[in-house]
Amino acid sequence: MVGTRFFLSKEEKKVIRKQIKASHTLLKHEGISTTPHPTESVVVANGGLGNGVSREELLSVLTEAEEVESLFMPPHKPYAFVTYRSVESARRALTQLNGQKLQSEENSITLYLSYVNSVTFEEEKSVPLPEGLVLVEEFVSPDEEAVLLAAIDWLSSNEDVTAQKSLKHRRVKHYGFEFRYDNNNVDKDKPLRAGLPDECLPVLERCVKSGLISIMPDQLTVNQYESGQGIPPHVDTHSAFEETIISLSLGAKTVMEFRHPDGRLVPVVLPGRSLLVMRGESRYLWTHGITPRKFDMVPACSPHSPASDLGTNRNLTLSKRGTRTSFTFRKIRHEPCCCAFPSTCDSQGAASAFSPSPSSPPSLPCCHADATRLEEEYVHRVYNAIASHFSSTRHSPWPSVCHFLSLLPAGSVLADVGCGNGKYLGVNPELITVGCDRSNALVQICVERGFQAFVSDALSVPLRTASCDACISIAVIHHFSTPERRLAAVRELTRILRPKGQALIYVWAFEQEYNKQRSKYLKEQIKDMQHISKGTNSKLSVHTNRTAFNTQDLLVPWHLKEGKKQGEEDSGENTKKDKKTSGNSLPVFHRYYHVFQQGELEQLCGQVAGVRVCRSYHDQGNWCVILEKD
Amino acid sequence: MKLLTHNMLTSHVKGVTKGYPLLIKATEVKVNEVEFNPQFVSRMIPKLEWSALVQAAEEDLPGELVADYETNEEFLKKVHRILLEVEVLEGCLQCPESGREFPISRGIPNMLLNEDEA
Repeated sequence: MVGTRFFLSKEEKKVIRKQIKASHTLLKHEGISTTPHPTESVVVANGGLGNGVSREELLSVLTEAEEVESLFMPPHKPYAFVTYRSVESARRALTQLNGQKLQSEENSITLYLSYVNSVTFEEEKSVPLPEGLVLVEEFVSPDEEAVLLAAIDWLSSNEDVTAQKSLKHRRVKHYGFEFRYDNNNVDKDKPLRAGLPDECLPVLERCVKSGLISIMPDQLTVNQYESGQGIPPHVDTHSAFEETIISLSLGAKTVMEFRHPDGRLVPVVLPGRSLLVMRGESRYLWTHGITPRKFDMVPACSPHSPASDLGTNRNLTLSKRGTRTSFTFRKIRHEPCCCAFPSTCDSQGAASAFSPSPSSPPSLPCCHADATRLEEEYVHRVYNAIASHFSSTRHSPWPSVCHFLSLLPAGSVLADVGCGNGKYLGVNPELITVGCDRSNALVQICVERGFQAFVSDALSVPLRTASCDACISIAVIHHFSTPERRLAAVRELTRILRPKGQALIYVWAFEQEYNKQRSKYLKEQIKDMQHISKGTNSKLSVHTNRTAFNTQDLLVPWHLKEGKKQGEEDSGENTKKDKKTSGNSLPVFHRYYHVFQQGELEQLCGQVAGVRVCRSYHDQGNWCVILEKD
Repeated sequence: MKLLTHNMLTSHVKGVTKGYPLLIKATEVKVNEVEFNPQFVSRMIPKLEWSALVQAAEEDLPGELVADYETNEEFLKKVHRILLEVEVLEGCLQCPESGREFPISRGIPNMLLNEDEA
């Protein structure tokens, strides 16, 4: 076993003793059987990830002796398995390395090698692919692959030919629409003369038939990567393309890395002739990229193991990169993106496509157009997305509002401008009620409940002048982002009232505590912060739910959950407990609010001719007025 | 959309002086059964734009309100049916002056205006 001498030195005896001890430990604690008979496989005790030895460190020691065919280092274990090309090679390695010291960090580790009959390892839970990601192997045949590759005429590309030849950059060609790298978006108004190459049609038809896509893509980007080329991690611009993105890999395989904002990394092997389908999180939230490398670590392919499965620690080998060409098919998006991932969504305020940075905060608008855009992104888009969850948290009508409604004479015509889920439309059945809201999703809920409602803007209510006996606007006007728009909203309420008609308006109060009474919105132990920060810049800050306000214009988070849950009444904003249990992947929406200071609502209404404030009060964190038309 | 709601609606397209009654172009109409409450209906009548209702209703309603309509049960039932039982599920509402069409989908009229129409 050790050397050819018959007599062993003291040192050699010591090594043998320790080696045997190590073997016993392996058997007893790890269930690994060693054998005195030479085999190709060797277990290296003390050479494991579990005792702080890195793969690089171990490999450098091992390769000093014999060439290693494969090295398997089970995570968290204090040993590793080495396979050699031949039994002879293993013998030589064992002779040379047994008792070898290895310097790892500050520790000096002694390696003990023993033969094993088989390399055993636990079947590990493989790292799941990002949500929405599907890989279909062998999607095209080698013949089809050849046809597709031949269809690309690189020389006729508009791009600078010298830039291509420098090999610093991968080659790119676009069809259908030009993708611009200066703003990571598409020139939707300038379709390219040539559409998608005809050769792509069979592949696309196959995608539709397999149910992988439902709409035919109208944009194609062909990327050609030589060994050593890659593409930095990025999220495909939400506003440029519809959800589903399909990418066909031709030529050599590569490893694409998906990164989640929370730091998780999932490497995915993309074999040649495979099709990658990105939807949901994998499309909107995870970044994807290809590290510029000449070699990738890929599993030693066995016929049964999925090539994409880099998560398990099977025998990994190095795969030399070859030229890979990808065909990425996308459908141009013409409406703004309203996905559930605002942090990476440029339609919803996110900054760059190249990193999932937190939303670039919007500024307070200085003109009507900006205001419309702000409200579209931070009010209307959000309510449409959260409608069902929002509705489930708005189930109890506020008593004071009900009181107002109950005092109205039977047969009164009531308009609820900004009716939301119709919470107040049925409170007094003696009334003729109609609701309107900006959110189609919320209006649908009203109609489902049997109420009459329509979709409209509170700044232009399509009701006849003086057609209503009364109207209510509960938690609506605080969503308008300029004083002019807030005033216009009050004017509309006044216009639709008949003479002597009354309007009830509720808006969120800056002062959440009034007359020593804390509103239900605030958490018990939070101290009051009455300081109003006007801010040195006009950027809107994100509010911390259930705390006092420190600025009047802000974004209030909404943590989306499934509808039908019993949530908090006042605003649906979660308690800390809910926040803890919700995972990283729950989308958060930001709604714009202008919270009113004491007296501000009255002052606003005072600017409207033909109407007077007959009552003004504070109710559960809201400033309220009752107006009467002359 | 019930005809009661339609009676209150008007077009708000910029430049329009009288945007009602909106012309109803229905492609799908449903008739529901709603409990008849004569008092409720008779209270409703004075609030209505009567001529708009006459125009919208396909049945013939008198051009002018009859006297003592409150006690005319047959009349009230007719009004009840028109106002509360007939429902336009699909179609559109057309502005009488500008011709602009507002779609009705799943019973919901969408009265939103574009930037240039507001």
